[in-house]
Amino acid sequence: MSMTSIVTTRRGKPIDAWRWIGRIFLVMMLFYTAVPMAWMLLTSIKSGFAAMQLPPQWLPNEPTLASYKKLLDPNNSVGQDFLRFFWNSLFVSTMTTALAVIVAVPAAYAFSRFDFPGRKFLFFAVLLRNMFPAVIFLVPLFILMRLLGLVNTHGSLILTYLTFGLPLAIWLLKGFYDNIPYQLEQAARIDGATRFQAFVLIVMPLSAPGIVATAIYSFIGAWNEYIFAYTFLNKNEQLTLPVGIQRFFSENTTDFPGLMAASFMMSLPVVVLFLLLQRYFVRALTEGAVKH
Amino acid sequence: MSTFNFGQAIRGGVSAAAITSLLMSSPVLGAPPVDLSKWSPEYVRSIAGTKDFDTAADCNKVTPLDYKGRLTFWYQGVFEGDPDLLRQYYKDFFAAFRKTYPNIDLQEQALTYNDLLDKFRTALLGNAGPMMVRLQILGGVEFASKGYLQELKPEDVGYATEDFWPGAMKSNMWKGKTYGIPTNNETMAFIWNADIFKRAGLDPDKPPATWDDVVKYSKQIHDKLGIAGYGLVARKNAGNTPYRFLPQLWGYGGSVFDETTQSPTYGRIEINSRASKQALQASYDMYVRDKSVPVSALTNQQADNQPLFLAGQLGMMISHPSDYDVMLDLKKKASGTDVQKAQTVIDNMRYGPIPTGPDGKRAVVFGGSNMHILKPEYVDGGKVDLPAAKALACFWASPEWSLKMAYAGSNPGNLNGFKTKWMKERLDNIKFLDVTTSMLPYGVPFPTIPETPEIMNIVVPDMLQNALTGAMTVDQATEDAAKKIKNIMSGGKL
Repeated sequence: MSMTSIVTTRRGKPIDAWRWIGRIFLVMMLFYTAVPMAWMLLTSIKSGFAAMQLPPQWLPNEPTLASYKKLLDPNNSVGQDFLRFFWNSLFVSTMTTALAVIVAVPAAYAFSRFDFPGRKFLFFAVLLRNMFPAVIFLVPLFILMRLLGLVNTHGSLILTYLTFGLPLAIWLLKGFYDNIPYQLEQAARIDGATRFQAFVLIVMPLSAPGIVATAIYSFIGAWNEYIFAYTFLNKNEQLTLPVGIQRFFSENTTDFPGLMAASFMMSLPVVVLFLLLQRYFVRALTEGAVKH
Repeated sequence: MSTFNFGQAIRGGVSAAAITSLLMSSPVLGAPPVDLSKWSPEYVRSIAGTKDFDTAADCNKVTPLDYKGRLTFWYQGVFEGDPDLLRQYYKDFFAAFRKTYPNIDLQEQALTYNDLLDKFRTALLGNAGPMMVRLQILGGVEFASKGYLQELKPEDVGYATEDFWPGAMKSNMWKGKTYGIPTNNETMAFIWNADIFKRAGLDPDKPPATWDDVVKYSKQIHDKLGIAGYGLVARKNAGNTPYRFLPQLWGYGGSVFDETTQSPTYGRIEINSRASKQALQASYDMYVRDKSVPVSALTNQQADNQPLFLAGQLGMMISHPSDYDVMLDLKKKASGTDVQKAQTVIDNMRYGPIPTGPDGKRAVVFGGSNMHILKPEYVDGGKVDLPAAKALACFWASPEWSLKMAYAGSNPGNLNGFKTKWMKERLDNIKFLDVTTSMLPYGVPFPTIPETPEIMNIVVPDMLQNALTGAMTVDQATEDAAKKIKNIMSGGKL
């Protein structure tokens, strides 16, 4: 007997207990994820002294936007640095995303549609890299970047992020292409389209959710990455945000409001991007790789 | 206000032998510009403001002011959380250097305290280091022993070896050669909250005299008020941990090797001695038995203690005078009722000497930083601009700038800094400075061996964590640490 037929309202209407359990679980998860964000936001509008109070002031007695003003003021050194780090992160993430999509789209299509010698081995080899922790590649990649003359350039990060992001992007997109019937392309070819036209006009629009998901993955990965940026860049003017916001930690003290304001602003582009494109992202997860 | 008589404490507590053994055991014997045997707050005041120095003129003799060159330089920076005063001095320093040497293209990179060593090590693996680096005092010998550094002594940049604390010079020595110049030297002090002491039934103006008292006071504070008594820190790979545990270890008569003796050989491991075990037992008693220290102590560093202290949730800790300055900054930026609260915290801050062990031994880590020049083959681009590097070393290690760059929390590496007018001004402006300058003669340098960073930043915190988490008994944890040190010293890895 199902639970829905046991639990009823006073009027005898059945209650979908699983649905309610699911809702409660979701509320709990929302609480779990939203509270740190709220705490970050609330701390960012406190003074340094208020942020250190215990028991904590949940809502600041004297809210202030001083930390945000400092960060966004290009006339002081903190603001100059923060805005520069922000721009650097945006540049590196955008370039990584664009290149990841440009490379992953045809690569995944090739793995999906063409049968060529070593196809399975190559596909496995692409994924193999992701089976090892990134940190073991740190020093070898650093030495490689130095030999290539790329240390202290954003190119070193873009190249590295692509190395790590591409396998996932190819795997994700391949799942999408596998689910697009080949007959659609054949029909286009019969109508006179070239293979490239069929790919661009038929396959790519149908795989848009996958491409968007791949782009979001790449962007978030590059935006948040710390250890390679920390190792490859040694010039203040080139640092990205995850490395740059370390400056709020000192030997004996931490500027908590500044750190939280910077963290909040750092999370904004990702949140905005996700909110704008979440429709595609969810579709990608449900229609693409998962189905595959 | 504290009623502790530091001058008396120094006169009573410091024997000439202690000073001689720990700080004057210089390989180069000469007359220092100040009389270290007379060291006391009164003496420091008497010499402050007695001599003028012209930094540009002095450095011009080392590297002409019109010299054209390029220099890459890494250092432990000061950041947003540091006192405004100190940040301003750092800005002023680089501006003054650029003004004095307009043709040197200085590319400086500030790194955070806990990251500098690791980042520098990684860069060296790829032969992509900077031309010059300013490292924490325990770092230099490691890199000198591996052949990364060029020889560099004060005489190379216009100063005399005797112009610097002998203990600091020792931290730059490897196999009889000198590889760096001290920029600043520090000894910390014991800070307590008078109001917490009062509410816990302790004398608000009397710090714990011994480490056993610290354990006792910590328990009393915790039991009476339900807050943490002592700010124990045991985080791994964070310099703060050895700086706070070693004074305790030495106070009890323990040591890692024989670093507290007059002529240390570092050939005998003492971390598993009875006295060392007593020191670890004290930490165990506070963390496990009494639960009187922050529960997060195992992952805490000083930056985590400070908010607890300033929020009135921590009774005692070891730190710099800069904490007082940080508090003044926080008050300045607070508003509404927080201003009064911040003032209350300031009014209740007290500084005193580090407690002694049961036998009256008082010791503190002789800390600081040194400047080093790298060999060209380990530098990005394969070249080192030596005159430019010497110009920067001369500038930073000058009496003027070694004082100003250490204004809020440390002491000038160049002893002549104590004679400048800025020292006089500093004594008037930086409250509690007497305490930390008074602690200087008690300073014990870290062992000057290449393995020191690994031992201090990994083995010592590991030992603390093993004992405090119950993974090992105190005995086992010290024996385990001794075994690891023995292994490291014989060329093995952890």
